[in-house]
Amino acid sequence: MRTVDERARELTPPSTPALRLRGISKRYGPVVASDDVDLDVEHGEIHGLLGENGAGKSTLMKILLGLVQRDSGTIMRGDTPVDVHNPQAAVALGIGMVHQHFSLIDALTVWENVILGDTGRIDRAAACRQVEEVSRRYGLPIDPAARVDRLSAGERQRVELIKCLRRDPSVLILDEPTSVLTQAESAELFTVLRHVVRAENRAVILISHKLAEITAATDRVTVLRKGRVVFHSATRDTTPPELARWMVGRDVSLRAEGAALGMLPVDGAPPAGTAPAETASPGTPPSEDTPPTEPPAEPPAEPAAAPAPPAVAAAPGVPSGGAATEIVPALRLSGLTVTTDGVTVLSDLSLDVAPGEIVGLYGVEGNGQSTLGDLLSGLLLPASGTVELAGRPVELERPGALHRAGLGIIPEDRHSSGVVLDMSVAENLVMKSVGDVSGRGFVSRRKMHAVARRLAAEFNIVAPSLDAPVRSLSGGNQQRVVLARELSAGPCVLVAAQPTHGLDVGAIEDMYRRLREAASGGVAVLLISTELEEVMALASRIAVISSGRITGVLPTAEATAERLGMLVGGVAA
Amino acid sequence: MSAADDISTILSSGIRLAVPLALAACGEYLAERAGTMNISLEAMMLGAAFGSVATASATGSATAGLVAGVLIGLVIGFVHGNLAHRLEINTFVVGLVLNALMLGLTSYLITISSFDSHQVAQVSVPWLRDIPLIGHPLFVERWPVYLLILVIPLTWWLVERSRWGLELRAVGEQPQAADVTGIRVNLRRRQALLWCGALAGLGGAYLAVGEVGSFNQNMTAGRGYIVIAAVIFGAWRLGRTLLGCALFGLADAMRLALPALGLTLNSQLLVVAPYLLALLAMLVFATGNREPKALGQPFERGST
Amino acid sequence: MTATSPGAPSGTGRRLLGLLAPRTYGWQTPAATAVAVLAALALSSALIAVTGGSPSASVQALYQGSMADWTAWTSTLLYTAPLLLVAVGACVSARSGLFNIGQEGQVLIGALAAAWVGLRLAITGPALLVLMLLAAALAAGAWAGLSSLMHRLRGVNVVVSTMLMTFVAQQVVAYAVNMPWLLQESRVGNAPVSPQSNPMPPSGLLGSFGEYPGLQVNGGLILAVGAAVLVAVAITRTPWGFRLTMLGRNPLAAKHAGVRVNALGGAALAISGALAGLAGAVLLASPVGVNRLQPGMAMNIGWDGLLVALVARNRPLAAVPVALLFGVLRSGGGFLAATGVPSFLVDVVKALLVLAFVAPPVVVALARRRRSGGRTAGPRQEAAPVAEEAIA
Repeated sequence: MRTVDERARELTPPSTPALRLRGISKRYGPVVASDDVDLDVEHGEIHGLLGENGAGKSTLMKILLGLVQRDSGTIMRGDTPVDVHNPQAAVALGIGMVHQHFSLIDALTVWENVILGDTGRIDRAAACRQVEEVSRRYGLPIDPAARVDRLSAGERQRVELIKCLRRDPSVLILDEPTSVLTQAESAELFTVLRHVVRAENRAVILISHKLAEITAATDRVTVLRKGRVVFHSATRDTTPPELARWMVGRDVSLRAEGAALGMLPVDGAPPAGTAPAETASPGTPPSEDTPPTEPPAEPPAEPAAAPAPPAVAAAPGVPSGGAATEIVPALRLSGLTVTTDGVTVLSDLSLDVAPGEIVGLYGVEGNGQSTLGDLLSGLLLPASGTVELAGRPVELERPGALHRAGLGIIPEDRHSSGVVLDMSVAENLVMKSVGDVSGRGFVSRRKMHAVARRLAAEFNIVAPSLDAPVRSLSGGNQQRVVLARELSAGPCVLVAAQPTHGLDVGAIEDMYRRLREAASGGVAVLLISTELEEVMALASRIAVISSGRITGVLPTAEATAERLGMLVGGVAA
Repeated sequence: MSAADDISTILSSGIRLAVPLALAACGEYLAERAGTMNISLEAMMLGAAFGSVATASATGSATAGLVAGVLIGLVIGFVHGNLAHRLEINTFVVGLVLNALMLGLTSYLITISSFDSHQVAQVSVPWLRDIPLIGHPLFVERWPVYLLILVIPLTWWLVERSRWGLELRAVGEQPQAADVTGIRVNLRRRQALLWCGALAGLGGAYLAVGEVGSFNQNMTAGRGYIVIAAVIFGAWRLGRTLLGCALFGLADAMRLALPALGLTLNSQLLVVAPYLLALLAMLVFATGNREPKALGQPFERGST
Repeated sequence: MTATSPGAPSGTGRRLLGLLAPRTYGWQTPAATAVAVLAALALSSALIAVTGGSPSASVQALYQGSMADWTAWTSTLLYTAPLLLVAVGACVSARSGLFNIGQEGQVLIGALAAAWVGLRLAITGPALLVLMLLAAALAAGAWAGLSSLMHRLRGVNVVVSTMLMTFVAQQVVAYAVNMPWLLQESRVGNAPVSPQSNPMPPSGLLGSFGEYPGLQVNGGLILAVGAAVLVAVAITRTPWGFRLTMLGRNPLAAKHAGVRVNALGGAALAISGALAGLAGAVLLASPVGVNRLQPGMAMNIGWDGLLVALVARNRPLAAVPVALLFGVLRSGGGFLAATGVPSFLVDVVKALLVLAFVAPPVVVALARRRRSGGRTAGPRQEAAPVAEEAIA
C-alpha cells in the first residue's frame, strides 16, 4: 500500500504550484486542529477540500487567510515562502476567500461592502465602476448602490464573489458555497468558477462536504480527517465511495451513514444543487448489503457496524406512501402564513404527519424552514393558519402551548434555542418540566437528578457530571440532551430541524436510530432537513419546500433526484 | 426692544450651553456608530473640566488648559477602550465605574486645592456681530466655540466618507462580518473612543476654562448623559444629534432666564426636557431601528 | 466574613452556601482579585500621600467612623440597609439578563411615594409604615416597569431608558418638593420654605432595636437582609428562579421552553425597581437622614447599590458583606475630613475596589477562552444585557 506521501508526490505535476503548504500544524490547547498538513494547489485547477465537520478544513483556510496563526510549517506562493500575519497580507499575496456566512454588512451598500478591507482613500465612482466591470466580466449582475439587506441569498453570493474577484486573486477559496443557493444559482456559480480556472488560470479551492459536488466540479481532491491529510488524488481517478471512506476512516456500510456523507442512494444522479455530472457519478447506490469494492488503507475502526435498519423506516401498521388519510394526523399544519418585514416567508403551508410516520421536509436553506422551526418552537406567531395536534388546534399565542399539547422539537440551532450552555446537564434536561421536579414551590434537586440520571443513561449522554455545564459537552452529546428532554415529555409529535447539523458521523448514526425508534414507537416525526440524503434515508414521504410553500409531497420510493430537484426549484413535478 | 434683547440673551446663553454638548456629541456619535455605548462620557467631561482648570492655573494659559482637557479625555477614552474592548468588561460597567471614579477624584482634588481663574479669549467678529438678534449670540463668543466649525464637518467626513469611518460603521453594525473582512474590530472601537475622549475632553474643558473660568464639584452635573440623550434623540444621525444639543442648550438657557423674565414656567420641566425628548423620540419615532446593530455588544472572535 | 471573592460566574449557585463561595475556575481568579484589590488600595494610599495626607491616619479615621464603637457600627448599618436593598434588586434584574441602571431614580420615586403616604394619608399606628413601604415598592416597581413596557412596545433599550428615567425621577421629586400643594414643607410664620417636605410623622419612622450607646439595628436592615435571603432562595431554589436564570442565560431557549419571557423579564425589572423603592423608603424613614423628602436624599445610594451588585456578581447573599463594606466606607468617610482628607476619597477607593473585583474574573475567563482557541468558550459575563432581543 502506498503511503499518502508517495501518492501525493506522484500526483504533483512538475510545474510550480500556485500555493504550496508544507507541514502546517495548529493546536488549540490539547486539540490538534491541523496536523502536519501538506497541500499543493495548481494554477488552472479546482481543488476540492473534503472533510467532515471538524476535520480541520476551516482552520487550514483561516491560516491561509491570516485569521489564525499557524504553530509550524511553511506556506509558499510559487517558490517563495511567505508569512500571512493578517487578512491584508493574504490579499496582498493574492489569496481571496468567498465566505458563506458573516461577511457582508447588511447596512452598507454593495460597493461599500466590496471595498471593505481595502486600504487607502475611498473613491466611490471608481469602486462602483469596478463593481460593474467585474459583474459584467463574469456575468454577475448587481446594482452597486443597493443596500445589502435588500438582496436575496443568491445576490449576496454574487456580491461576495465580486468582492473577491475584484482583488484579482490568483488563489480563490470557496467555503461550502452552495449551501444557501438554488440549483440555478449553484449552476451559475460553477460556470463562473470554470471560467475563472480555464480562461484566467486562477487556482480555486472548493471546500465542501458534499461528495457529489466535489466529484462533479473539482479536478483534484484532498481529504482531511482529524486535521491530517489522509487522501489525495485526481478527481477522475477516484470514486465517491472511496472518498467517503477516506473522509470517515472506515467502511461506509450503513445506508444511514452513506446518507450522512452525502451519497444519494437513488438513480445515480447527483443531488440537487450541483452542476450536472460530468465526471463519475456516484454510480451504484451503496446499499447496506453491497460492501465497498476497495477497502481503505487503514483498517476500519469499527468493523462490526450495527445491524442495518430497514431501508424505509416506517412503523408497522402504517402504510408508507403517504396514505395518512384514514387516521387522524398527529400533526396537521394548515394554511400557515408568516410575513416578516413585508416579505412572505411562509405561504399557505399545509402538511400532515401521521403517527409513526417520518415525513421529511426538504429544501434548500433559507426557503422558510427556519421560520417553520421557529413557529413550531413557539418563537413566533403565524399571520394566519393553524397547527393541530392529534386533531386539536393549538393556541399558539400561549407560551408553551405546543409543548403542552405534545409537540417536542429539536431546534435548528441548538446553541441559540435548544440548550442553555451555562446551565447544567441536569437543568437542561428538566428545563421544560421544572414543575414536575418541584414540590411545595421549590425545585427538588433530588428529583431533578433522578430524572436527569435516568435520561442520561437512556440516551447515552456522555458528560463529566450531571452538574457540568452543557457547554462542556460535545456537539453530539448536547444534541442528545435536547433529544432526551424532548422525548422524555412523551410527545405525540417530534419536529427535528437539521438534527444532525455539525455532528460527527457516530452522532449522526445515533440520531438516525433514535428518530427511527421514536417513529416506531408511534411518534409522528417531522424531519426538516436540507440534506436530501438524510431525508431519503429516514422519511417515508418527502415534502419539498421552496420559497415558503410546499411545492410537492412524494413518497420516498417515487422521489427521484430529478423530481425533487424540480420541486426544489419551485416547479411542480 | 427689550423682548429682542431678552431673546438675544437667551440665544446667547443657549449657544454657550449647547457648545460643550455639541463638542462631546460629535465624539459620542462616532463612538456609538462604532458600537460603543459610552456612558463614561460624563467622566471624560468632568475630568477634562478639572484638568483644564488645574493646568490653566499652573501654566497661566487657558489654552494650555484646553489642551490638557483634550489629553485627559483621551486618557479616559484609552482606559475605557482597553477595559471594554481589550479585556472585554461590559461597557456599561466600565462607564459606571469610571464615572464614579472621576466624580470622586475631582471632588477630592478640588476640595484640597485652589486654582486661579483663567478664561480663554473672546472673539468678536466685526460687522456680523451687529446683525440684530443673532449677531451677538453667534459672533461674540469664546474662541473654542468656533472649533465646532471644524469639528462637525470633520466628524461627518470621518464617519461618512473616510475609509476609517466605513470600517467604524461596519464594526458597529456587524462586527463578526467586519472581522472576517480583515478589520480589527476592537482596535477600531478603541480608536473611536479616543476620538470621543478628545472631543468630550474639549467640551468639558470649554465648560470650565471657556465659560466659567473655574471648577466646582460635579461641575458637569450630568451633561454627559444629556449628550447621550442627544445622540439617541438624533437617531444616530449627526445633524439631528446636533439639533438635539441646540434644543437642550436652549432649554437650559430658558430655565436660567426664567426668574429674570418673571415667568412662572416650570423649571423642572425644562431640566427634564432632554431626557423626555430622547425617550419620546425612541417611543414615537421608533428610532431604535436606526441604532447600530451591535451597539453595546462586546466583540470576541469566534463567538457569534 | 465569608469569602466574597467573586470568582468566575458560576452556573446557578446551588446551595445557599454555594452562593457565598461560588464555584471558581481554578486559583487564578482569586489570586488576580487579591492582587487587584491590593493594587487598588496601594493606589488609594498613594493618592492620599501625594496630596499631603497620611494613609495610616486615613485608615484609622475610616475605622473610627465605621467600626470603632457601637455608635459607629450603628451608622455603618444604617447605610448598609438601603445599599443592600438596591443591590438585591439589581441582582434580580441582571439575572434575568436585563440590565437596570436606573436605581438612583427608583430610590427617589420610592421615597416620594412613601413620603406622600406618610404625610398625606391620615393614618396612624404601624399600618402607616407598612403602607409607606408598600407604596414605595409599588411606585418604584411601576417606574422601572415603564422601561420594560417601553422596550416591549417600541424596542427601547432597557439600559438607556432606565438611565434616562433616573434624571426624570430627580426632577419629579424636585417638582414635588417645590409645590406647596404636593409635598413642599408648610410655611411657619415668615420663615422661608426650602425645597423639602415636612418631617415624617413618628408613626412613619422605622424603629431600631437596641439603645444608645449600644448597637442599634434599624428595622431597615432587617428588611434588607430579609429581602436578600428571600431573593436568594427564590432565585436558586424555586421554579421561578430557574426560569429567571434560563431567561438571563439564553432568552431564546427560555422562550422555547415555554417561559413567558415578556412577563418574566418585566417582573424582574419591576422587582428590582421595587427593591430600590424600598431603599428609598428606608432612607426616608430611618435615622440615616433627616426624615424629610429632599431632592438630594438618594445620596448616590442607587449608583452605589448597583456597584455592590456588580462586586457580588449578582448573588444576593454575597451582596450582604459587600454592602456592609460599602457602608463602612460611607460612614467612615465622614470621619476622614477630620484628618484633613476630604471624604470624597472614599468614592475613589470605592470605584477602584469595584474595578478590582469586577475585572479579574472577566480577564481570567477571557484568557482561558483565548487559550482554548474559543472552542470551549468559558462562561460569558453575567451582567451583559442579553435578554433584550428576545423580549420584544
